[in-house]
Amino acid sequence: MISVGKSVNSQQSIVNIKKYFPLLPVYGIYLLLFLIGIIYPEMWSVVTLLAFYCALGQAFNIFLGMTGYVDFGYVAFLGLGAYGMALGIDVSHQTGLNIGIIFIGIILGLLMATLLSLVVGAVALRLRGAYFAIATIGVNEGFRYLIEGAKLWGGSEGLIYFRQLNEAMGREKTNVIVTFWADVFVLVIAAISAFITLYYMRSKIGYALTALREDEDAAKVMGINVTKYKILAFITSASMAGMLGATSWGLKYTHVFPADVFEIHYTVEGIVIILLGGAGTLLGPAAGGLLYGLSKYWLGAMFPGIQLLIFAPIILIIIVAFPEGIVGTMKKKIKGTVLERYIA
Amino acid sequence: MIRGLLRFTLGRESEMLKVDNLESGYRPMQVLWGLNLEVKKGSITSLLGPNGAGKSTTLKTVFGSVLPWNGKILYEGMDITELPTHSKVEKGIVLVPEGRHLFPNMTVKENLIMGAYSEEAAKRQVESFELVYSLFPVLKERTKQRASSLSGGEQQMVAIGRALMVRPKIMMLDEPSQGLAPRLVIQVFEAIERMRGEIGLSVLFVEQNVETSLDISDYVYIMHEGSIKAEGTPKEIRALTDIREAYLGV
Repeated sequence: MISVGKSVNSQQSIVNIKKYFPLLPVYGIYLLLFLIGIIYPEMWSVVTLLAFYCALGQAFNIFLGMTGYVDFGYVAFLGLGAYGMALGIDVSHQTGLNIGIIFIGIILGLLMATLLSLVVGAVALRLRGAYFAIATIGVNEGFRYLIEGAKLWGGSEGLIYFRQLNEAMGREKTNVIVTFWADVFVLVIAAISAFITLYYMRSKIGYALTALREDEDAAKVMGINVTKYKILAFITSASMAGMLGATSWGLKYTHVFPADVFEIHYTVEGIVIILLGGAGTLLGPAAGGLLYGLSKYWLGAMFPGIQLLIFAPIILIIIVAFPEGIVGTMKKKIKGTVLERYIA
Repeated sequence: MIRGLLRFTLGRESEMLKVDNLESGYRPMQVLWGLNLEVKKGSITSLLGPNGAGKSTTLKTVFGSVLPWNGKILYEGMDITELPTHSKVEKGIVLVPEGRHLFPNMTVKENLIMGAYSEEAAKRQVESFELVYSLFPVLKERTKQRASSLSGGEQQMVAIGRALMVRPKIMMLDEPSQGLAPRLVIQVFEAIERMRGEIGLSVLFVEQNVETSLDISDYVYIMHEGSIKAEGTPKEIRALTDIREAYLGV
């Protein structure tokens, strides 16, 4: 918390490189994941699973962790991102842009998710705490039924665009992109989200968000425009989710079905990852993503069918033992030591 | 004529806050029914009355956390009725809310730092620290202690100190003596008097603690059922026996 005050004092000193040291362990984890996947190709599927969970946690944390608001409709942003990729590829595959169509897809996914977050945020962020959470539950279900019912974007039959990708880029390139680069993009999005998180933490924005998370009334009394910062965190988080959906679902699977992408359990997984790792911390979502992904993978392999039955008590024990998450508790332990500079 | 002109200009200048025919509430329930009050520059003004009179709502409406339905709020002659809370804080109006609303897990110092949020306040942070510590020397000893571990009186001082970090011109306090032992109540009221004396702060506060409030106030408003029933200097209010008995129970 002291760092909040320091950052205010040092705002004038333009780029204080030490401020960004806490990115090192986070980027270390992502680099390690990448290298493991490259060196042991048979591990690539595990790496992609972990990368997805880390990125989901890291993006969701910008909103949930930093404001303390729980958005149960978060997966809708990923879903719309996936549709953005689908529509982007569909529209542009004959323009001769080659690989460029992927970036059109990512940007479209980002824009669609951002637009939705503006609409949802403007309405729902007027509500507080539990009321906000309840208001957002309907968002992803609503979207799913809108697409299915109104036969929007292929309705419940979804969109399949593997052929279009092949047409635009050729079979070989498509294969590499879908099986390798899509997952690399996911790691990149996790890294970007981590950078934004730290940038927010180390600026006036983080200061306002901390006040707002701890006590919204107090934040108001201190002259903080709470609505502005809530919406800012919400939009940033949603735009990251849009890109994540575009790459990890849209690009990777080359098809989108509404029932798959508007599935509320991804939101719940995101919340669990953040709580396990430490809400509002920088390293937390990466740690939580690794822990959650590995446990899920390992338990699924060891106890197929009953993995969730075993997993639930494990999560419960971790949360009771580390109420502020693994990294949250760790941060308290290392306060005053050299390590403090590297963990945020 | 000169005297008249002088009084006219001085009279206008010395007016810090003026509330004109204010109506507000929590829809559909109306709480304030045409409330008028004034706070002179550098004065301590108190708003007294029984439970449910609308005292807290008055402060919240002036501050903007409850929206006004009707009427005007003037601050240094400026119409601020429609301004959002954060703009009001920038202009120098602060509210120390009921129940203090500290950040319990942060230290005293961190709580105070959080108060210096606006750019203007952040620039003057060091100076503001000195001001707060000179007004509340006890906080200097507690600077690294968590806010939740302080006594009620000290917590109230942190709340007031945090509001001072904004460098306000007028401070509104909602029941500053709530839940405090009598000795601490006196400490808090002394602090209010010193803020007025040392930095010329105008103060508007709401209280249940009638006697002590009358002791330190320059001007008193008595409120009941959403409007002002009586006003005057403490001396005048003390003389109004029937009003005191009816609305204040003393």
